[in-house]
Amino acid sequence: MAETTQLELVTPARVMAQKSVQMVVAPGVEGLFGVLPRHAPLLADLARGIVEVHEDGKVTDRFMIDGGLADVSSESVTILAERAIDLGTADAATLKVQAAAANEAEAAFLKAVIEAL
Amino acid sequence: MASLKDLKTRINSVKSTQKITAAMKMVAAAKLRRAQEAAESGRPYADRMRGLIANLAAKADPSSAPALLVGNGKSASHLLVVISADRGLCGGFNGSITRQTRAEVTRLTSEGKTVKLLMVGRKSADSLRREFGDRYIASLEGIQGTSVAFSDAADLGETIRSGFENGDFDICTMIYNKFVNAITQEVKLTQLIPAEVADAGDGEAGGNYDYEPEEDELLASLLPRIISTQIYSALLESSAAELAARMTAMDNATRNAGEMIDRLTLVFNRTRQAAITNELIEIISGAEAL
Repeated sequence: MAETTQLELVTPARVMAQKSVQMVVAPGVEGLFGVLPRHAPLLADLARGIVEVHEDGKVTDRFMIDGGLADVSSESVTILAERAIDLGTADAATLKVQAAAANEAEAAFLKAVIEAL
Repeated sequence: MASLKDLKTRINSVKSTQKITAAMKMVAAAKLRRAQEAAESGRPYADRMRGLIANLAAKADPSSAPALLVGNGKSASHLLVVISADRGLCGGFNGSITRQTRAEVTRLTSEGKTVKLLMVGRKSADSLRREFGDRYIASLEGIQGTSVAFSDAADLGETIRSGFENGDFDICTMIYNKFVNAITQEVKLTQLIPAEVADAGDGEAGGNYDYEPEEDELLASLLPRIISTQIYSALLESSAAELAARMTAMDNATRNAGEMIDRLTLVFNRTRQAAITNELIEIISGAEAL
């Protein structure tokens, strides 16, 4: 079994994901970066974008986040995002309804999610 | 001795009080479920934020790190952010906050510090106004309770941050009720500025962080966010604790009213019996006299 790093994706509302993964690709403000196990400690500001979770050489989960923070240590990646949506379970129709009711910032985020689907 | 009519009125008034307290209990219980969920699901995020800043503070170099993180080196002036409820009838909820605040202000004043207060929620603000009203820098209402908005917490955080940057105070501490379970609340003091440093044992995260973007830039955007997050989580906890306290208090009140009704009913029946007995004695002795 290949080495893994412990991923946690947390929003103020709930813990979105918590599992051992091989690689995480996160949207830093200065560009995408990948995190493998034994990464050097890093604190990075994240932009709006997609967090990709890699397991067994494949992308298993994709989360859209609306900016946030990544706290990387040698054995864990903690992503704190104010808003996040699991692209695997999201549904464009429901999101459109939500976007219509949401305020400006949230609607812009939901629109980006719909485009990414 | 009270007449039968008086007793009847009394029983009826206690009964209507009981109806009100029972209704308030139900309302609080229904709202509590949502508030509790909000408070509990918000905890992981707040905890991690707190852990992160505690780590940062432990590693920060006091000479170059931002003042929000390590303080401005002085401790002459304190700001207490006091979070109570807007409404009463929730048992010891507001009382314990008021008591803790009074103790804290007295302690700091006796150490020769200047104390300022930022009151959130009407109740404690009202009960401390006569004593400490001149120390209030603001008194806010209506931002906690059944629904808490992050934007309110962010605004409050912004007020605190700009006050700190203007040198209005050196240390900022928050006093609020933490929701433990439906019958327990715990008064907590959390220091917002400078950040609470992690315990020495927590240093295992090891090594210094790499930052992206640069350290100053990142911390400048991160620290205000952390303060707002902490305030937000305190508001959520306090709201859940308030509803829990109200539910317990109203449950007790309902039970007490029930006991009172039982007692009054007993007195009422005895008085009625006594009146009947009296009448009988009068009739019988009247008949015997003939």
